[in-house]
Parts: sequence; C-alpha cells; structure tokens
Amino acid sequence: MYWVSVFTEAGIFAILALGLDVIWGWAGDFDLMFYGYLALGSYMTFVLTIGKPPPSVEYIIGWHLPVVLSMVLAIAAVVALAAIIGAIALRNLREIYFAVTTLGAVSALYLLVEIYTPLFDGYNGVYGLINPGQTALNLTYNGYRIGLLVVVFVLLFLAYLLIQRLSRSPFGRMLRSVREDERAAAAYGRPVFSAKYRAYLFGAALAGLTGCLFAVFISAFNPSAWTPQELLVIYAAILVGGRGNPRGVILGVFVVYIGFIELTRFLPSPASRPDFGPAMRQVLIGLMIILMLRFRPQGLFPERPGRDRGEQPAEPRGPGPLALSASAARDAAPDTEPDGEGSAG
Amino acid sequence: MSPALLEIEHLTKSFGGIQAVRDCTFAIPEGQVAGLIGPNGAGKSTVVDLVSGFGQPDSGSIRFAGEPIIGKRPDIISRLGLIRTFQTPREWRNLTVMDNVMLARRRFADESLWRSLTQARRIRKAEQPDRAAARAILDRFQLAGLRNDLAVTLSGGQKRLLEFARIAAAEPRLIILDEPMGGVNPVLGVRIGEAVRQFAADGCTVIVVEHNLPFIERTCDQVVVMDLGQVIAQGPFTGLRDNPRVVDAYLGMDQSHG
Repeated sequence: MYWVSVFTEAGIFAILALGLDVIWGWAGDFDLMFYGYLALGSYMTFVLTIGKPPPSVEYIIGWHLPVVLSMVLAIAAVVALAAIIGAIALRNLREIYFAVTTLGAVSALYLLVEIYTPLFDGYNGVYGLINPGQTALNLTYNGYRIGLLVVVFVLLFLAYLLIQRLSRSPFGRMLRSVREDERAAAAYGRPVFSAKYRAYLFGAALAGLTGCLFAVFISAFNPSAWTPQELLVIYAAILVGGRGNPRGVILGVFVVYIGFIELTRFLPSPASRPDFGPAMRQVLIGLMIILMLRFRPQGLFPERPGRDRGEQPAEPRGPGPLALSASAARDAAPDTEPDGEGSAG
Repeated sequence: MSPALLEIEHLTKSFGGIQAVRDCTFAIPEGQVAGLIGPNGAGKSTVVDLVSGFGQPDSGSIRFAGEPIIGKRPDIISRLGLIRTFQTPREWRNLTVMDNVMLARRRFADESLWRSLTQARRIRKAEQPDRAAARAILDRFQLAGLRNDLAVTLSGGQKRLLEFARIAAAEPRLIILDEPMGGVNPVLGVRIGEAVRQFAADGCTVIVVEHNLPFIERTCDQVVVMDLGQVIAQGPFTGLRDNPRVVDAYLGMDQSHG
C-alpha cells in the first residue's frame, strides 16, 4: 500500500503541476500563490463535507454535502480567490514584482488560516473526511485506496488531454506570444491582461481540483500540511520535465517526486538528528534546480512547437540577391542578446 | 487628395518637465507612404507610441479613419487596423516562424479558451486557408524554408523580414514602421523599400520613422518633419531642401556627413 500512496500523491501533484505550467510555462507568470489555491480547495472540501464543528472546534460553513458537489463548490471558491489576486497582481506587475506580490498573498493567507481560528480552526486544522463513500461502494480499505489511485490517474489523464489540446490551440499559441513579447502581442491585437488572467483562473481551477483530491487522500488538513515552500518542488518538477511541455511536466513530477522521496529514504538519519533526511531532501532539490538551470534550462523534454506540415509553396530558389543579403545581414546586424528564457525562475 | 486616414491635432505629451511632443498637428492621407523625420529627441517615437495606444497624451486629439482613438488600449487600436513596429524587431522568439505569421493572421475568435477546448478540430480545418496564406507570405520574404524554426534562431536581417511578413499577414489599413532600416545592410534595405511600396500598392497607408534620408526620398510620397516636439514642415521631400527651418534642424546636419 506504500506505493499506492506514493503514486496517488504524485498523480495529484502532476495535475497541480499541469495547472501551474499553464500560468508559468505558457503565460510566463512566476506565481508563488499557487500552493495557496491547493490549500483553499482542500480546506473548502473539508468544511463542506464534514458537518458542524464539535464543541471546542471552530470552522466556517460546516455542511454535510456530497463530496462531488463540495468539490465543485471548492473549486468555485478557489477561482473566486484567484480572480481577486489575479486582478491585482496581473494588471501591471510582471516578473519579480508579480512574484513578490503573489508571495505576499500566500503568506497573508497562511498567517490568516493559522492565526484566525474561526476560519479553519487555526493550527489544529480540519479533519474527519475519512474515505468518503467507502461503505456506500462496499470496498475494503485497501480496495478504496487503490480505487482512489485509479480515480486520480483517470483525472490526470483527462487533465493531460485537456491541456495538450489547449497547448496546441490558438489559445495556447496566443498565450505564448504574450509570454514571449507582451508589447508585440498587444501591437498585434492581443489583450495582454485578459489573456494572462484567463490562464491564471484556469490554472487556479486545476489547483482547486488537486486540493479536493488532496483532502480525500489525506483526510486531515492543517497548516503543517501545506507550507508555501512546497511549491518549490512543483517548480523543480516543471523545470526538470520541461516547461511548457505537458508530457514533460507530468514526467518531471514523477521523476522529482518519486525519485527524491526514494532517494532520501535511504539517506542515513542518525538518531541524534532525525531531521537530517528531510533537510537533505530540500538541499538536493535546491541543488537540482540550480544544476538544471545551468546545464539544461529547457528541461528533459523541451516545449515542442507545432510543426507546419503543409507542402512547401515553391521550390527553394537558388541563392538570389536576397539570400545573399540575408546572410550578409547576419554579419551586419548588431548582436541580439539572448535574454535567457529559462532563467526566468 | 484622398481623405486623411490619420489626423493628429494639437497633441501634447510631457515626461516630467520635458515636453516631448507639443502642439503637434498633421494628417496622413489614405494610401500614401509618409516619412516622419527629425533629429533625435524630436518626439517622433513618442508620437508613434501615442498613436498606437502605448502612451496616453496630455491633450490633443488623434483620429484613425475618423474615429477618436485616444484612451483606447493598444490591442483595441490594433484591431481597428493599425499595426506598428518597434525600433528593434520584436519577434516571438521561442515560437516558430510559422506561428509568428499565423499569430499575425489574427483569428481572434478562435483564441477563446472555450472554443479552443471544444472546437479544436473545426478550428484546425478553418485555419487551413490562413496557413496557406502564411506560407505564401513567408515564401515572398524567402522564409518559407525556415518556417518550422524558432524565430530566435533567425539572423538579424531575417528577423526584419519576419517583421514584414507579419505585417503582410495582418493586412492592416495603417502601418507605422519605427526605424525599419536600423542595422540593415544596403541590399536588404532595397528589399525593405520595395516591401514598403508593395504595401502601398496593396492599399495600405504607411508611416515610416527613419533617419536614413535616401531611403525616405526613394520610398515616401511626402514627409513630415518634426523638431522639438513640433511639426516644422510637411510636404514632398524635394521641397524640403529649400526650407530653411528644415535645413537648420536636420538636413544641413545630415548632409554634412553624407
């Protein structure tokens, strides 16, 4: 059952990474709020399904809704929050200014959840969503966990199909033009803010969905279950797999997530220092990000632009005057600086 | 004379204490190639930014095809049929040459998230004529063989040509070229001049901001001369040689070194 659990969690994170890749990989916005959307989705799923809080515990709502319905509402809540954050952060802020603003937003959310107990019971968090539907489906505990793994992978596959289709669509192409050069995109009629905003809400919706799955998966959620730093692992996975390439992103999550968990499991953790292993894991992930950025910033599977397979309209001509001029221009043109797309992180 | 496509009246724009454009007034008739010249700091690029929505004027009015466009966003003005370039080619670097031109074809309706998700097959079929047109345009600018390469891999001259291919694909009413000859060798320069005349022959109006006066003389029907944020002369190039203000501000200086 250990491996079932590892793969379920990796599958959930793979969906999360696909959503983040739309925001960062396609639209080019380095969002640090993203893990907050997973957290909100998770919290909302709990408070919509586990009923009224018992004495001495407090949280908002406290309904007893079916899990699937509560998931829809939780995703709606996440998109609503993203609509507010995105409207503020995406309007005029770019790159590091955008990143810092979203970092501020996620820190504020984290502190609010932790300190303001009437929201989600502060540090104690919410719990009690234990294998919803297990008795109705008449499954054993193990059967249920395997079923959950299957559901997660089916959702991951659907998310992949969706993203892959979008990636090759005019929407994906337009979004990438905004990422590559915003001013040129505007000069050719693209509404830059609206394009980035739509990508942001779409990515946040996927994060909300992963929050719901996470709630069902771990059956309790509190501030120690999510820290904004966790997002770094997702960014590392996208970097390793290949920013902008859905298949690469999924693979990156499995490589980083499973690879690193397994690697660090065998690290010696002396009894005097039980936190050596987990700390080492963070160090290794940081090291890997640096090495990837230095040696292969495009990732293992770089973004693959769609190829035009139509027949060549005419035979290539001999070296006419223009062919000459183009190669001469190569020498005459001022050097254009590569601005290091991959180093945006 | 045909009616003016672009009318600028009493345009003023300051940056801090500096008046970059002050009481600037001129009009460009439809179908003409007009040069916009003047010494560095004359306010030419600021006017281009104000017209294309990349800056907001302090006062004055701009009408494009009779419609006031001040306060509109760049993308809205672009959709009205105005395409501008920047001083350096701004290709979408990590997209293919073909995608660069397809984006310039501007099939806006298909770029909605929902339609892109639900009608992928229909969209792919519907954009075939545009793909054929894009290939033909790339062929015209001798980039067809490179259409699956990333734009970032093109040479400086090829990037200039891609810029023109994108403009041709967009089929605009008004084109504003901001220093299209910057860093261009003479042979390619001739080709660019031909491309500008071809745009005019196809019915476009073109405004060229340029320091290369022989190019302006060859290519433009009329010239607007700016200095210190104002228009100091407008008319055919030949008449400007005798205008003392123009000679004083610009031509005399330029003729002294070539």
